[in-house]
Amino acid sequence: MTFTGKTLMRLTTLRMMPVRRSFSTTGASRLYIQNNLNNDQTHPSLQADPNAKVYDFRSDTVTAPTDEMFDVMKAASRGDDVFQEDRSVKELEEYMANLCGHEAALFCASGTMTNQLGLRTHLSNPPHSVVCDARSHVFLWEAGGIAFHSRASVSPVICRNGIHVTADEIEGNLIEADIHTAPTRVVSLENTLSGLVMPIDEIRKISELARSRGLAMHLDGARLWNAHIQSGVPMHEYGAQFDSMSLCLSKGVGAPVGSILVGDHTFIDRARHLRKLFGGGWRQVGPLAAVAKHCIENVVPTMPETHKLAKYLSDQLTSMGIQLQVPVHTNMVLIDTASVGLDVQEDLIPTLLRKNIVIGGQRNKSRIVLHHQVDRKGVDTLIEGVREAITARRAAEPEQQQQQQVAASLY
Amino acid sequence: MSPVIDNTAREHVHDLTSDTATIPTDEMFDIMKTATRGDDVFGADDDVNDLEVFMANMLGHEASLFCASGTQSNQIGLRTLLTQPPHSVLCDARAHIFVHECGGLSYHSQASVTPVIPKKGLYLTAEDVEANINKDTLTGAVTRVVALENTMNGTIMPFEEIKRIRAVCDKHGLYLHLDGARLWNASAATGVSMSEYGKLFDSISVCLSKGAGAPIGSIIASTKDRIRHARHLRKLMGGGWRQAGFLAKIARHCIETAVPTMPETHKLASRLATHLQSLGIRLALPCETNMLFLDFAPAGLTAEDFAVELRKKNIKITATSGSTISRVVLHYQVTAEVIEQFMDVATNIVKSHGKPVTTAMETDVKENGNTTNSSIESLGAAYPSGKN
Repeated sequence: MTFTGKTLMRLTTLRMMPVRRSFSTTGASRLYIQNNLNNDQTHPSLQADPNAKVYDFRSDTVTAPTDEMFDVMKAASRGDDVFQEDRSVKELEEYMANLCGHEAALFCASGTMTNQLGLRTHLSNPPHSVVCDARSHVFLWEAGGIAFHSRASVSPVICRNGIHVTADEIEGNLIEADIHTAPTRVVSLENTLSGLVMPIDEIRKISELARSRGLAMHLDGARLWNAHIQSGVPMHEYGAQFDSMSLCLSKGVGAPVGSILVGDHTFIDRARHLRKLFGGGWRQVGPLAAVAKHCIENVVPTMPETHKLAKYLSDQLTSMGIQLQVPVHTNMVLIDTASVGLDVQEDLIPTLLRKNIVIGGQRNKSRIVLHHQVDRKGVDTLIEGVREAITARRAAEPEQQQQQQVAASLY
Repeated sequence: MSPVIDNTAREHVHDLTSDTATIPTDEMFDIMKTATRGDDVFGADDDVNDLEVFMANMLGHEASLFCASGTQSNQIGLRTLLTQPPHSVLCDARAHIFVHECGGLSYHSQASVTPVIPKKGLYLTAEDVEANINKDTLTGAVTRVVALENTMNGTIMPFEEIKRIRAVCDKHGLYLHLDGARLWNASAATGVSMSEYGKLFDSISVCLSKGAGAPIGSIIASTKDRIRHARHLRKLMGGGWRQAGFLAKIARHCIETAVPTMPETHKLASRLATHLQSLGIRLALPCETNMLFLDFAPAGLTAEDFAVELRKKNIKITATSGSTISRVVLHYQVTAEVIEQFMDVATNIVKSHGKPVTTAMETDVKENGNTTNSSIESLGAAYPSGKN
């Protein structure tokens, strides 16, 4: 089953968002403050009520397996994937390769693994470097993997439009080979990035540029599903622009574990060997593969509703005076609460935890992520909680609030 | 290598190429359904956390981490000890961490390896270790970690020897790591508890997906600080999986149900070994737990001769083309009936194809002590390679 424009409910074109006061003007460098090992996202003094349903808006990675999924797992094959003897894994890999218009695919434990394996397979000969958006997951959130696994430098590009890098910007940041440099070897894009859809036209331009320079094109397509659903561009059309793509199965797609890397046969063979080196040579994973395929077929078609819900959430929040860090294209709402005087950790998180809502973030920034297991009720509860927090803040310090509102209106 | 288990297929292949072939049963999926469904990257899954606490306690350590594979848990454990190059690891020349982990020590830790051929043949001794420690801070890669493997090729490293090696490490300020992928088998065979073994090591890797029976996974145990670092490394290596609670829960279930059956598995292996020896087949290594390294040459047969006949009974063994040796591995899903069939097939094939039977029981390798070089060179073909 492949997704084409016809299977979508309707094609939505991205509205060009005018630059106006809904967007925070602070730089795009740290849009999502994630927890670190020392500073757990759970608020130190308050926990959600474990007996009632908890809505976790920190990420779409929290999609949990359903009872039905275990039945799907039971029916899967039980071969050994290190020796490539599992039918269900092969089915998933063939399915994904076809869907993306590539020759082969590799099923791995995580998106970090598929990204790093993809990049590592391109990066065979140091000195070399990767050019990517400065906000890229492969650069910021993969524990320095590019340096560690590939001994590569990174040229992080800050995009001027705040949405996506352009071909001009990529070209301007390419490093040529000379005695001093680590020449660019791979262009790594991310789609969606912070929930933002990168336009296919721009991707095509970058792909042409890269190929004209003999550079490899890699996509962190952890959430390519969302981009595809929102833009209507077929998966294989994206696939044609890249030499390798990483697509996550455990985020919005809803599978418990796993990610896919696609590329040509030689590439995937090499990646498979590297996968073992990374410790990703797992054994009886047929059940994981089977349930991932099941989720692709059943969950991805629900993404339009999730995107609608995100839009609804964002409209409600902005109507309260909260700003958006970036526009809402798919399933993420990145908010900036400075204009309403809220500190995320101090004011917002405790209020929401009392309602069994979990969000992340620090100071004035938070990223709210929706997925198919978040219903309208959860979103409304979140909205309610935010409203309460704002009201409480206004009641507590009215003067300070007025000052902030004046400042905000100057933007 | 594994049986092709198709739920629609009638045929079940008994895979004796490795104990990684233990497969999940239908019942296990029902148990998996009851597991917690939190996100393990956020440390938010109860069943994973429970397994890690359970295993840490069992191994006498402060903390542990649930990883995707033995390769991953070994390499991560070692990496937490190998913090500053130049440095090297001293291990048995046959060690899995050196031979079968894709050069991980060099790759993940930029560590050289001092591969030692044990003088006595079966296991490293304190003398082997001490004689090979590198202390050259001018031109050398100084030894930082001594890594042992127990069981190795199914053979047991004596507890007393481990203690002696620990003393050597303490004397020289070295870390001691254990690749305990099959430590369960050693413990079942010797009666030494997992925790008694565990406490001798700075880091210890124990596999859940082999004889212990879980479909996936392995554990690394060490101090809280090192495991904290290990968790970070695990993410770096792409092992940061999400809703892994059901994998942890089923691993725990398997430990509790499969591991206690290991003595029976060992008895079956021993029974098979005795019978095959009576037919003139040689054991290249002593059968001390669940593995047999068979050399069919004295009976005038190749591994393929055996493999073909056994396949007719749906029994699969490793058979590298042209080789006369094969590693046969038993586990809790290999029943006594299967072993009976194996023995029957062996009897028949030797009678009809092989040399006349002599009851030449090979003397214990331990007593000989000097077959070391041939042991290391000739056993490669006994392992499954993924190609046959």
